[in-house]
Amino acid sequence: MRALARRTIVGLLARIGRTAETVARHAGEMTMLTWHVVTATLAGRVARRDVFAQLQSIGVGSIPLVTVTAILSGVVTSQQGGYQFTSSIPLYVLGSVVTSSVILELGPVMTSFVLIGRVGARITAELGTMKVSEQIDALHSLGRDPVSVLAAPRVIAGTIATPLLVGLADFIGVFAGLVAARFAVGLGPDSFLYGARLFWHSWDLLYSIAKGLVFGFIIPLISVHMGFGTRGGAEGVGRATTSAVVFMIITILVLDATFPPLFLN
Amino acid sequence: MIEYIDVHKAFDVPVLTGVSLTVGTRETLSIVGPSGTGKSVLLKTTNGLLVPDYGDVRIDGVSVYNSDRAALSEIRRKVGYVFQYAALFDSMTVFENVCTGLPDGEVQRARSPEVLRKICDALEDVNLDPALVLKKLPSELSGGMRKRVGLARAIVGRPEILLYDEPVTGLDPVNTASVSRLILEIRERTHVTSIVVTHDIEQALEISDRVALLTHGKLRFVGTPDEFRRSDDAVVRAFADRRAAAEAALQLVGEVEEETEEEP
Repeated sequence: MRALARRTIVGLLARIGRTAETVARHAGEMTMLTWHVVTATLAGRVARRDVFAQLQSIGVGSIPLVTVTAILSGVVTSQQGGYQFTSSIPLYVLGSVVTSSVILELGPVMTSFVLIGRVGARITAELGTMKVSEQIDALHSLGRDPVSVLAAPRVIAGTIATPLLVGLADFIGVFAGLVAARFAVGLGPDSFLYGARLFWHSWDLLYSIAKGLVFGFIIPLISVHMGFGTRGGAEGVGRATTSAVVFMIITILVLDATFPPLFLN
Repeated sequence: MIEYIDVHKAFDVPVLTGVSLTVGTRETLSIVGPSGTGKSVLLKTTNGLLVPDYGDVRIDGVSVYNSDRAALSEIRRKVGYVFQYAALFDSMTVFENVCTGLPDGEVQRARSPEVLRKICDALEDVNLDPALVLKKLPSELSGGMRKRVGLARAIVGRPEILLYDEPVTGLDPVNTASVSRLILEIRERTHVTSIVVTHDIEQALEISDRVALLTHGKLRFVGTPDEFRRSDDAVVRAFADRRAAAEAALQLVGEVEEETEEEP
């Protein structure tokens, strides 16, 4: 019995140790990648043409999906709030609830989830395929730096595009919530906006954009890091892509949880 | 001149365990050996694609591993690398792929007639018709054509050293002979120093000034093709016999095919 308990504890400790080692290794490698991206950018080794191409792909290409997600987020929040407020709380408070929920939380987080699925997974799969088919080695052998050519343009474009997409999602989400409130609970636009203004802090929008900036940096960084670390053929690419998506979702949720205590108190 | 000095490399297990070798200027050296003995790993240490755990590689006296970024970049410019599966950039056309083999200044002027001429010359050097392949994507080419585009990308910048990683793997006998002939032609025309990693002993003996046999992470034999054929070393003999066995098998297949054709 005692031997079994000892084995269980040792097994548990070994598992914790391995997890800690993996986390430390990823953290170290991502710090080095960040450093290389920053130095490549400051040294002017990143082609503007590559950044614009990624802005088109990450930013412009994501607008339709971000718009749909923002509309649905605003509508659902408005309907749920309207249902809960009926007969107990003045309905105009719904304007504040929808505006705050969308701007502080749903806009940045839902936009990030869209980018993880649409952009992050694609970057990992693309770079992972390049890695296992020796295309990244080919870049090295041709005297080109894969960080300057592949990583930096994606990270720069993500950092620029995501706050803009979050701003768009905030605007569309609130507008969709306003329209939904009219049809779901009969709250007119004037009352909705009155409620929204009642508890409005101008800092909220900045907070939302700041989240977008951080998430927009971290999503391409993780996906590039996981793509560069891919091993083992097509199966390895699939494994790396799945791991990258899980890694990005957890990181975004953890970062999201650290924002309120740091900036809203 | 390329010098490998006591090169060690391990992944989960030791792969190279002290390889020392010198390849002379304009020499063609083939590295042969069983799978998993570190032939490609040794090749990749030549231009810094893999960093040895211990030891050094020097090109014309300059250390690949104790050089700054600019010097390493300069070394890589001197060295062309032909990958096992060509490693073409699959989102780029043949023109763009070959263009990446040129120095940065020329890549900026990719559409100039002078650069276009260089790219066409490189494609013609590997027996490809530029008019037919320039605008194609790698996925639209056969395996043999992809290998030749990879070779064109490696030679377009006129390197002083060419490294071939399994250049005939996956090719049929006709394309194998064609690639071997290309390696010889390129050597004659450009006087380039070449290292060829191959499983194909016959190819190695045909195209090389010297052959090196790598087994268990160490060099077992280094010598001319004639010395290889005459060697008394048991492992070398096993390789030479394998070649003889393969020739006998091919002959047998030929005879069986002839008999089958003669049958009514």
